[in-house]
Amino acid sequence: MDAPALGDNSQLAEHSYRVRKNAIRMAEVHKQGYIAQALGVADVLTVMYFHAMNVRPEEPDWEGRDRFLLSVGHYGIAHYSILTAAGYLPEEELVTYGLDDSRLPMSGMTHYTPGAEMSGGSIGLGLPMAVGMGLGLKRKKSDSFVYTLMGDGELAEGPTWEAAISAAHYKLDNIIAVVDFNAIQADGPSREVMRTEPLIEKFEAFGFFAQRVDGNDLDALVKAFDAAREYDEPKPRIIICDTQLGNGVHFLENREKSHFVRLTQEEWDDAYEALDAWKTTRTR
Amino acid sequence: MTTPRTETAAPAKNAPAIIASSVDEGHRTKQAPFGETLVSLARTMPEIVGMSADLAKYTDIHIFAAAYPDRFYQMGMSEQLMMTAAGGLAKEGFIPFATTYATFAARRCYDFISQAVAEQNANVKIVGGLPGLTTGYGPSHQSTDDLAIFRAMPNLTVIDPCDAHEIEQLVPALAKHDGPVYTRILRGAVPLILDEYDYQFELGKAKLLRGGRDVLIIGTGFMTMRALDAAKRLAADGVDVAVLHVPTLKPLDEATIIREASRTGRLVVTAENHSCIGGLGDAVAGLLFRSGVTPAMRQIALPDAFLKAGSLEVLQHRYGISTDAMIHSIRCWL
Ligand SMILES: Cc1ncc(C[n+]2csc(CCOP(=O)(O)OP(=O)(O)O)c2C)c(N)n1
Ligand SMILES: [Mg+2]
Repeated sequence: MDAPALGDNSQLAEHSYRVRKNAIRMAEVHKQGYIAQALGVADVLTVMYFHAMNVRPEEPDWEGRDRFLLSVGHYGIAHYSILTAAGYLPEEELVTYGLDDSRLPMSGMTHYTPGAEMSGGSIGLGLPMAVGMGLGLKRKKSDSFVYTLMGDGELAEGPTWEAAISAAHYKLDNIIAVVDFNAIQADGPSREVMRTEPLIEKFEAFGFFAQRVDGNDLDALVKAFDAAREYDEPKPRIIICDTQLGNGVHFLENREKSHFVRLTQEEWDDAYEALDAWKTTRTR
Repeated sequence: MTTPRTETAAPAKNAPAIIASSVDEGHRTKQAPFGETLVSLARTMPEIVGMSADLAKYTDIHIFAAAYPDRFYQMGMSEQLMMTAAGGLAKEGFIPFATTYATFAARRCYDFISQAVAEQNANVKIVGGLPGLTTGYGPSHQSTDDLAIFRAMPNLTVIDPCDAHEIEQLVPALAKHDGPVYTRILRGAVPLILDEYDYQFELGKAKLLRGGRDVLIIGTGFMTMRALDAAKRLAADGVDVAVLHVPTLKPLDEATIIREASRTGRLVVTAENHSCIGGLGDAVAGLLFRSGVTPAMRQIALPDAFLKAGSLEVLQHRYGISTDAMIHSIRCWL
């Protein structure tokens, strides 16, 4: 997709609003789900699909595309939101999320959904798989990038660090790893469950070009993804995005139980209203 | 021969695909039997410690963590580390109960458990939530092969309990047994059935829960609950069904299974919430064949496939392990 000129991110803001709205529509089907993650990561995905990545939504398997690996399968809802906004999926399909025989299963899987390149329900496979695809792309002399979206809790998985060592060893400068650092995981705040900081220092020591940004700041995200693509040393790249869970729906932001949210129909109705109110006040 | 395709009416489509355990209509339930029992047992067994890999809330061991915060180790999303460290804690004389989902214990941790726990005979209790097909979330969370995987591991005891009553009884039994154990568990509101059958769990023992002339169902896990329900409904049609419950898949209670399967004139049906490969059906068939006992035998089990995502009820029915599907299969086979 053509990238909008730097400095004019109002289009991106519009897209990221639609991504959030798509997510609410899906979560509402079951009155529960990983909605807080989807809202939090909406800006990151928007910048990836509408600015950074080279993709053709009408041709999801186009050989020249940048690859996108959803390592955190439970972020399926977030992924379908962006895939719909970007034109891979029709909007009418959103309400089939998680239902029998839907193309939008709760956990992202490769053979269900156009644009889904891996099955990531068992977490910790994204970076290792990116290593293989990065090697494969180089072998094919392709200049495509491999992006993988990981969770902060996922950083405790051993295979992630095996892959990090290997990505640097093989100088896989075509890997752009993205971490949604929303500071929560299944059992609670990630700093209490398993502390992984300091991350920039760790990834740099592992041989990465590492950046950390406010994951709900579109301008900062655009700059970080541009820097990751343009960086000219032969190193794998990683962007740690500090995101706010539930971003855009005030009563979902900083809710205590936000890894898996259950709401009443009334609250879902309120969520749309809250999102619209947030949209009008969003300052770039 | 495995489960025939069902033609009975399926439950309503498009029920939500949430993560849930299997409580059939009309059954009583009990909340968090694993977590609650571990807490009371730990009072008298200070060597018990708890562990989880970011799934404490989802395996009910969070109750233990709240009661004994200094005896609980949150390992983060590091299942391989957790199993190996559990082996280390066991070497120092502790009895770790290490919890995650069954699928991650079996698939991700196989070598780690094999070498750090089983080969060294470490006194580790591995507890796997979401057994078999108990979520519509898709293959990553559907633990359809854990019994096969763990049965193949030397030294390891392998258990699939039926209900809350059994979970309450097996937790102390596992703690008192010196050696590595893998058990599946159900969490949250767990069905409560076996208290009505005056049942007592014994490690390595199969128990006959009801007699019957026409069919012998050999069940494990919550399929025994469904076998008991199926037996009641088939009785109304004049089909007399016996139910033998086999919670311990390894070591198998060979004597009891051979004795029950030797009674002539009964169709033997195994029932498990697991792939048709390597679980109860294969264990029983192998045992009987090697022992020269060859009744007519059929297997109720999940197909050898990565299962679909969707709503749990629909999937359990489609894949032949709902009570309705089970009754349909047995009628077809008679
Ligand atoms: C290998 C593996 N272990 C455990 C799980 C269960 N699980 C699903 S999401 C999750 C938490 C992941 O934390 P994070 O990556 O930060 O995602 P978030 O909580 O922010 O959604 C866990 C433990 C899993 N899916 N895969
Ligand atoms: Mg997180």
